[in-house]
Amino acid sequence: MAVKFIRRVLLAVSVAGAVAGVIRFKGKGVGAIKQGGWRKVTDSKQN
Amino acid sequence: MIGIVGAGVVGSRVAETLRLFSQQQICVYDIEQIVSQRLAGRLSGGKSQIGVVDRNSMKSAKVVVLCGPSPHFLIAKELLNASVSVVSTSDDIADCLNLLTLSQLAAENNAKLIVGAASSPGMSGLLVRQLAESFDSIDEVHVALHGTGGPACARQHHRALSGQSIGWHDGEWLRRPAGSGRELCWFPEPVGAYDCYRGELPDPLLIKRAFPELERVTGRVTATRRDRIFSRVPMMIPPQAEGGMGGLRVEVRGMKSGARLVDVIAVAERVGQVAGVVAASTAHAIDTNKIGEHGAHVLGDESMPNSWLITQICSAGINLHSFVRA
Repeated sequence: MAVKFIRRVLLAVSVAGAVAGVIRFKGKGVGAIKQGGWRKVTDSKQN
Repeated sequence: MIGIVGAGVVGSRVAETLRLFSQQQICVYDIEQIVSQRLAGRLSGGKSQIGVVDRNSMKSAKVVVLCGPSPHFLIAKELLNASVSVVSTSDDIADCLNLLTLSQLAAENNAKLIVGAASSPGMSGLLVRQLAESFDSIDEVHVALHGTGGPACARQHHRALSGQSIGWHDGEWLRRPAGSGRELCWFPEPVGAYDCYRGELPDPLLIKRAFPELERVTGRVTATRRDRIFSRVPMMIPPQAEGGMGGLRVEVRGMKSGARLVDVIAVAERVGQVAGVVAASTAHAIDTNKIGEHGAHVLGDESMPNSWLITQICSAGINLHSFVRA
């Protein structure tokens, strides 16, 4: 009974970890880079 | 003569920048005399004369830049009573509010008091003004800061994540727990993207003072999980002598030609460097009589020479970056 419970807990933890890992990996968004970028502002008064 | 109180990271950057602006007489005071002597020894030579003085001798300066850890209230009051103009780099909310109450004293003594002339606050106000000029009207400002200057700044950053953030929201000041409200903010390279959280920053208070028309103002700081977890306990590991590359990001929303517009401007530089250059440029503006009105002011305010300050700051090597959509 106890072994079955531990197995279930381990399964639940590993499934949760896998899902979290997928979401985290997928969510490491580089989308914003595709949408724009930074441009250095030159002060016209300096030129 | 321009005086510098505190010869740490920000104080030394102030001295370097004033030397770059060919300021002839600079005097430095630090609680640890050896630190100010080392700074004077390193920067002496050329056109600038850098001397080490005691605290009382600061009263003979025209402007004094306060670069030590906050609070700056007592020393600012002492200097204003002696008709010495003060530039404070304090980033503590209570200290900034207390400093603003010295406006009357400054005016009575024909002196100027600039509150929060550092990176955040300070540079943030200047960037808002810079962006606001391209809008017909602005109503929202969101500031995000990454990194720390010297050890005192790192301690303040630690405290900022454990207190209460203050933000202006549709006509009222809202207090929310610091460390909440995660938002992913992109800073220019090499900083990149960081999760930012509400922080106990004085920026909303000072920016709202400079821009009364604003409806929403928030201030956020970057933090890791470790920062957020350990922010509620005292700092167990002493902070480094200086933080690494930092960033300041200012997002302004408003109306232009009848359309809703969002614009972002940012700086990627060491926070101590930005704070030192902003404080030195402000002191230089007072010394060269670019700021006319006596009393307390904040950067970005209409009474300040904001364009001139931005030009000076850029000429001292701080680069501004504008976000461009693809």
